[in-house]
Amino acid sequence: MNNPVDNSLCVTRRHFLGKGTGLSLGSIALGGLLNNSLAGEESLKKPGFKPAAKRVIFLTQSGGPSQLELYDEKPNLTKWAGKELPDSIRNGQRLTTMTANQKQLIMPSRVKFSRSSKSGATVGEWLPHVFSIADELCFIKSMHTDQINHAPAMTQFLTGNQIPGKPSIGSWVSYGLGSDNKNLPEYLVMISRMQRPSDQPLYDHYWGSGFLPSSYQGVKLRNARDPVLYLRDPDGLPSEIRRNMLDGISKMNYLKLEQSKDPETDTRIKQYEMAYRMQTSVPDLVDFSNETEETFNLYGPDSRRPGSYAANCIMARRLAERGVRFIQLFHPDWDHHSRLSSWCVARCRDTDQATAGLIKDLKRRGLLEDTLVIWGGEFGRGVAGQGQWDSTEAGRDHHPRCFTIWLAGGGIKPGITFGSTDDFSYNTQDDPVHVRDLHATVLHLLGINHEQLTYRHQGLDAKLTGVEKSRVISKILI
Amino acid sequence: MGRNVLVLLIFTILPKCQLLAEDSVNFSRHILPILSENCFSCHGPDQSNRKAGLRLDTAEGALKVIDLKNPDKSELIERITSKDEAIVMPPPESHKKTLLDHQVKMVKNWIKDGARWGKHWSFEIPSKADIPLGYSNPVDAFIRDRLRKEKLKFNNQAPAHTLARRISFDLTGLPPSPNEIKAFLESGDEKEYLKLVDDLLNSKHFGERMAMWWLDAARYADTDGYQGDETRTNWPWRDWVVNAFNNNMSFKQFTIEQFAGDQIPNSSIEQKIATCFHRNHMTNGEGGRDPEESRTEYVIDRINTIGTLWLGLTLGCAQCHSHKYDPISQKDFYSLTAFFNSIDEDGKAGKGAKPLIPYESPTIPRTIKESQTLVDQRKKIEQDEKLKAQKPFDEWLKELLKNLNLNYKSWDAPEVIALESSEGTLLKQLPDSAITATGPNPRQDDYRISLRSNKKRITGLKLEVIADSSHTNNAYSRGKSGFFTLTDIKVQTRKINGSQVRDIPVANAIADHSDDPKKHSGYGDIKNVLDDDPRNGWSTRDANNTQNHHAIFALAQPLQLAEDEILIFELRHRSTIGDANIGKFKVYTTSELGPVLKSLGDSPTEKVSQLKIEDIENIDKKLRELLFEQFLADHSPYIQAKFSLDRAIRQLEETKAAKTTNIMVLQERKEPRKTHVLTRGIWNKKAEEVQLAIPSSLGNWPASKPKTRLELADWLTSDKNPLTARVTVNNIWQMLFGTGLVKTSEDFGLQGEQPSHPELLDWLAIYFMENNWDLKKMIQLIVTSQTYRQSSIRNQDTILKDPENRLLSRGPRHRLPSWMLRDGALKISGLLNSEIGGPPIKPYQPEGVWEEMFMGRFKYEATDGPAQYKRSLYSFWRRAVAPTFLFDSAQRRVCEVRISRTNTPLQALTLLNDATFLEASLMLSIKINSASLSTDESIKAIMTQLLFRQPNEIELAILKKEHGKNLAFYENHPSDAEKLIISIKRNIDWNGELKLKKIEHAKIAANTLLASMIFNLDAAVTNE
Repeated sequence: MNNPVDNSLCVTRRHFLGKGTGLSLGSIALGGLLNNSLAGEESLKKPGFKPAAKRVIFLTQSGGPSQLELYDEKPNLTKWAGKELPDSIRNGQRLTTMTANQKQLIMPSRVKFSRSSKSGATVGEWLPHVFSIADELCFIKSMHTDQINHAPAMTQFLTGNQIPGKPSIGSWVSYGLGSDNKNLPEYLVMISRMQRPSDQPLYDHYWGSGFLPSSYQGVKLRNARDPVLYLRDPDGLPSEIRRNMLDGISKMNYLKLEQSKDPETDTRIKQYEMAYRMQTSVPDLVDFSNETEETFNLYGPDSRRPGSYAANCIMARRLAERGVRFIQLFHPDWDHHSRLSSWCVARCRDTDQATAGLIKDLKRRGLLEDTLVIWGGEFGRGVAGQGQWDSTEAGRDHHPRCFTIWLAGGGIKPGITFGSTDDFSYNTQDDPVHVRDLHATVLHLLGINHEQLTYRHQGLDAKLTGVEKSRVISKILI
Repeated sequence: MGRNVLVLLIFTILPKCQLLAEDSVNFSRHILPILSENCFSCHGPDQSNRKAGLRLDTAEGALKVIDLKNPDKSELIERITSKDEAIVMPPPESHKKTLLDHQVKMVKNWIKDGARWGKHWSFEIPSKADIPLGYSNPVDAFIRDRLRKEKLKFNNQAPAHTLARRISFDLTGLPPSPNEIKAFLESGDEKEYLKLVDDLLNSKHFGERMAMWWLDAARYADTDGYQGDETRTNWPWRDWVVNAFNNNMSFKQFTIEQFAGDQIPNSSIEQKIATCFHRNHMTNGEGGRDPEESRTEYVIDRINTIGTLWLGLTLGCAQCHSHKYDPISQKDFYSLTAFFNSIDEDGKAGKGAKPLIPYESPTIPRTIKESQTLVDQRKKIEQDEKLKAQKPFDEWLKELLKNLNLNYKSWDAPEVIALESSEGTLLKQLPDSAITATGPNPRQDDYRISLRSNKKRITGLKLEVIADSSHTNNAYSRGKSGFFTLTDIKVQTRKINGSQVRDIPVANAIADHSDDPKKHSGYGDIKNVLDDDPRNGWSTRDANNTQNHHAIFALAQPLQLAEDEILIFELRHRSTIGDANIGKFKVYTTSELGPVLKSLGDSPTEKVSQLKIEDIENIDKKLRELLFEQFLADHSPYIQAKFSLDRAIRQLEETKAAKTTNIMVLQERKEPRKTHVLTRGIWNKKAEEVQLAIPSSLGNWPASKPKTRLELADWLTSDKNPLTARVTVNNIWQMLFGTGLVKTSEDFGLQGEQPSHPELLDWLAIYFMENNWDLKKMIQLIVTSQTYRQSSIRNQDTILKDPENRLLSRGPRHRLPSWMLRDGALKISGLLNSEIGGPPIKPYQPEGVWEEMFMGRFKYEATDGPAQYKRSLYSFWRRAVAPTFLFDSAQRRVCEVRISRTNTPLQALTLLNDATFLEASLMLSIKINSASLSTDESIKAIMTQLLFRQPNEIELAILKKEHGKNLAFYENHPSDAEKLIISIKRNIDWNGELKLKKIEHAKIAANTLLASMIFNLDAAVTNE
């Protein structure tokens, strides 16, 4: 159906683009402002320079995975076992009130490490599958953050600021780049389905759009009858009937547009069409029946259980294939204050094989070269044991001064380790990388200068990387 | 929108008008914004970042780079016009654009005129301009005056039905009912319009509409927002807000009570509750959190909120350093925090978030009664169903006895078709169907047992852990101790040729013995095998260690296995120490419900099967009762009745628990705290000590007045403060027109947008103050203006000259907030429960939304009965995951006064498929008695209910066509019609209450979708 309205009567599209509250024309980001309805203006979608990565898969491990058990090998710690952490190392570091009044007695790693002969990467024995792909990964062992409690730290890790209300990195990216896919949202979020009641809820501001228009917020892809909220039509309403209804709505709205000449009406017509396309494309997306046995075997047995982290990893690949821009998985419950050998092991088992499977799968399908994969949590864990250090009960407290994450794929040098920590994995030593440096680097890989991706908020041209200086970590880039 | 866009609009889209309207360059309006945007980040009030010692925010500083005699030779001009990258300002590395030619020209002209300096407009006390002649309503006079300058005129008045709908939504958040607007629609005259306005302002729904604005700004929510996201019980404060607006409390008093209700002499408990406003911030009770860090955050949040809501200033910018643009120093910021730094709070969250005052809301008797009535109704239905079940029970029992073999067993062992382990244990099945662990004995292991059953359904599994002589100490495992620890179990199904598994939820677990977890590092309780946590689980160390142990796992729903489906039972041994994997066990299944799943002894069926023939006639009472229980657990009419009753009982308990609320309030501690500037805003980096004070750029504190919260509130709402009246009036304007006179309603500072009608804004601000801060009077003045009553239809002239309607050359047109859409649907369909206030309610929301965020810690259960249909304002607001049926809503984390309005496919999906809208569509089609109407009549009736007008011929043709196709479909597929109605009926007992005839199903189904279509029209979702 053609738009019966003389376009000249509508406000011009370019003017319309300037209508979003707070939108800065100084920014390079206008792409998805109206969710594709205006994405015809290609020139506005072009990133600042040629991007190395077209999309991101962010494997968010919530709770603070222990770098000391997973990646950051410190063999000399056995000599320090049970001894107090030297003041020169602690250097006034704040502790959480959980261990502030306890002696900081050193607990060496609970695991044996394997070392890759090719890249020299070290991976703890609880992650045998990740070890098998270690030569594909770029480990950053010198990450650090400012926050020591979960919610503020995760909020900073994902939005650049500890106070909720700022847009998440995924929202910034979809604001900056828009989508390659006309049938799916550009920013999708999945949460692993677990039974264990979690004390650290995953707040929806972790993928919220903050002060950006809410059209940029992450859309949760759920393991439920409604994979996207309100997607499913009620029983007894087959899609042909839905189509009739939408035709009726569309025709009525065109009539309205003719009268009101309100560009919002025009947009609404397009959004209802997009809604229908989502209704038809999502069921295909979530139907895994065309995945082979071999694929399930690659991602591990838990991938057969819809909603598991492993199944979400397969879904991440399917979304990457469909051109979704920012795909974020959350796996909760890495907050191991006690009993590393059961608790931490459980989270490793949930994730190890599937994480490795995802990297392998992306690689063989040629997707890894332009997909940036990020693995990491909001902070690391301290070298001192929490609880009786030499008992099986012991765990580790939060630690913001250093932690390990890894990156792989689009634009990242494979098989390298960047940055280091001191002998206690307590302080960063070489090449510290702040959370905002990570953000700057991710945007850079997507072809965005973090200084130029701005949005006018409270009188400021707000940025993901905030007001303090941040840098792109060029040494890890190809 | 930022200044750069404004400038662009003025000089590209409105090139002439702006300059025509102004004869000479105005410092505050033209020059200061340029300096602020381009220069202040390095040469502004913040001295820590000041470059080259130059400041351009004061006349003194600026004159250093201005040559009044040789304007063009001024360094300022040279710098902004230089082509040399090393010289030009702003410098390239700032990523700011070079000034545009017309901007340079203005700066030059300003210097030529003598570089007159002044304050930013909003820091000047408002002054009352003369009202332009020609209109009785001052709003119209000012608006028209401006329009005339742009050669525009007022649009026609909107049609009566449009206007009636607009004013009703704007003032009450609800559409009118046809009765309420009948008089106005018929006459269309001024008198009736004024009466309608009066009625709406006096409606009890006015306060609810205003409260939604206030709750968003007050970041009100029902949970803490951090860590456990604990529930708080501050909702009586929300009711206080509704009542205050309904009683038209002056905005001054409204401010005073919320700032300092506790400091008013002889204050009432309600006045104390009002101070909860300043406790609505998020609270963080995370385990390792330093409470002082949290407390500091709360104090800062209060100041930021005051900044946004009363002052229209981004005070928060001065938390870490002096404000970069506005004359607010970091010291000013912390001096202001001092007013709130001595609250008797300690940074704790949840139930410990003192100071708290206990309060019983007057709404409680009503809500308890409502819940009790529901229980009574349901109880009666449940009892009736029980009675009705007697007869079928007798028949069932007769049948059972006839077919039962002697020594019948409720449990039997299904066929084992595969045995696997993840860490290497070799599992083998013995001839007696027991399974043993052989081969390697890893520290931890998961066993997966694949089973096939010929039972037509499975309701539960039983695990027998077998003591065996091959085990250590003849006990249960090959581990060092011989004991076992089962950490978790999983029940799943899988198609034989399928790849994916399906999780089967297990509702409950029982065992013959469970250790006390306190004695065994968390291990012991059988219930904990259901929680995916390896730090707890089932063990039997303290029991008799020679006998077998049994555990029963009841499925949440009976499971029907398809022929090609297998059942997977997974036993996880993942305990911390490990070495406690079960060595020998048996698995059984049952298909019975009721007592068999609740105890480990013989089931009622087993007992009855053991009876001798002659005893069967006289089954003892107790056994008979158990058999009846078993029958009822399987009898669907009873299950439904019982389910509804249980829900109602839970709701009654919740309501009763809501009786005593503890409300977070303000109260001073005995010993005031010292307040310091915090270096870079960090809570424990204390610098210079400061005293209570207001920012000097805003005025002087009256020497005679003590420095208290009470006096701060009084000063904020006094004519000595240049901002509050302007900011409040602007918020009201934004509420009514979609955009404020100052578009950046949260920012009246230098980086905010300038008012489109500065004289009008000032005039209204003064009018507001002169009329004792009377909100209703202010609103009445605005909505009775011709400006407000204009049609929103665009014409060629206004599209070109006034694309965004900032000049108000037409009426407002914007999508209704999602909460008004929901409330409107409830009202139109007749479902609305219009009671004011009370404990939070839970409207329909798709299943699982809370569970997935908290891994099952919280479950969302929609409110049952009439309370479901209360207004959205009363919805339970969980901060971690806001109500899903609301879109583009405030986040309720920090103060928000300008909510974004977007247009997305997800909104379309919500309006198409949200249960409330569907149920409202069904109820509307029933309300208009559509089953007995012709298609034309139905369309007309629904249009009239929703849009207060008749469809025109084209509209009628469009709707008829699509509706006709749907109706034909449902006539040919009556079972789909029934399915549709059942799936959206929700709370309605449609067979009983609605009494639909089968023959009407097709029509009702099609008409429901017709109503849904109309609910989704642009015209229906837009306030136009």
